[in-house]
Amino acid sequence: MKKWLLILFTLIVLATLQISWPSALNFFRIKPDLLLAFVISLVFYFNFKIALVSAILAGLFKDAFLPAPMAINTILFSLWSYLTFRLSSQVSTDNNYVRLIIILIIALLNNASLGMLSLNSGSYIPAGIFLRNLFISSFYTVVLSPFIFKLTKRIAA
Amino acid sequence: MFKLSRKTITSFILIACAAFLIFSFSALFKNSVQKTFKPQLSLIDLLKREFSGIIFYHRNMVELDRLSSDAGNLRRRLFDLREIEQENARLKSLMGFKQKSPLRLVASRVIARSPHSWSSNVIIDKGRYSGIRRGMAVINTRGLVGRVIEATENNSKVLLVNDPSQGISSIVQRSRQEGLVNGSLGSNLIMRYLPDDADVAVGDIIITSELSQVYPKGLLVGKVINIGKEFSGLSRYAVIKPAAELSSLEEVLVIIP
Repeated sequence: MKKWLLILFTLIVLATLQISWPSALNFFRIKPDLLLAFVISLVFYFNFKIALVSAILAGLFKDAFLPAPMAINTILFSLWSYLTFRLSSQVSTDNNYVRLIIILIIALLNNASLGMLSLNSGSYIPAGIFLRNLFISSFYTVVLSPFIFKLTKRIAA
Repeated sequence: MFKLSRKTITSFILIACAAFLIFSFSALFKNSVQKTFKPQLSLIDLLKREFSGIIFYHRNMVELDRLSSDAGNLRRRLFDLREIEQENARLKSLMGFKQKSPLRLVASRVIARSPHSWSSNVIIDKGRYSGIRRGMAVINTRGLVGRVIEATENNSKVLLVNDPSQGISSIVQRSRQEGLVNGSLGSNLIMRYLPDDADVAVGDIIITSELSQVYPKGLLVGKVINIGKEFSGLSRYAVIKPAAELSSLEEVLVIIP
């Protein structure tokens, strides 16, 4: 129960931080995806049930502040959580570098999916901005992931 | 690690996704989430302002001196303009002109921004209780900012002009050339579907046109900074620098029609 509360509290804090991210910390006008990093790190430190429910909650928090009517982040976060769980049963994810690579791949996939959906809905995004959002956002998320890992590890302890 | 069968996991994901997909459509859920986040967002906004006030103390002091002297000059000009306005009103009534109704504005603070980089929207701290409704235009002192896409009791979601799903029917102020202004997620906007012989030049001012269903006519959108040819070669486009600084919005004004 205490862990659930801690996770919920962390989710609210990270969601608040993400939507009020200081513009001074933006890198090429790009912000990191702290919620995604937290959702994936939960798979590494907690059981799948906790990770999946947290992924759905995190996706919902994110969707509540976005203009899109569809809960795309809820679906994507659940999917990434499930895929990471499947992957972690196939390969060892004890090493932090492996975890960072997994976060990078998932961040790239997540950004690519969101970008493609945006393009598919008829929005006009220049190629340069698409690539900037895709790569810089993913790398920025990876750079901040070690802090999220530490935080998750502390909650799990 | 907690083990579940593949079937259970898949069913759980499907049920959860379907349930929350439906919930996400309901405004009730979004309202409560936004309400939950409002106090800490307001607090963070306050702390940010206080910290920047301390960090940029000297810059603010110099700015205050400059603004105080500007305010003095503007007060004098305002007095002159009031005289002219009264004279204008008298002359208009004499000539039988129909007076245009003035726009009612609701001032609001930006408390949150889009959680990712694939859309450009902000959350403001006023909602339906202040008369704000979906579809209302939002400006700031510099120019057009966006439009309200969702309004709850105490918050509203504003889609900024640089969001790629935005399309604003606009005209070039000098030549009255029409075009569609789109957001591109970057710092500039793009005016598209300009004919090859369009009368548009670098430095031209772009304003909203009367064809726009959402925005009142004549709102300042921005300034042309570059002109190019579309990939198809059939039409041209103009790159526009928005009048409002969208990356550092703090206060906005919602136009109540």
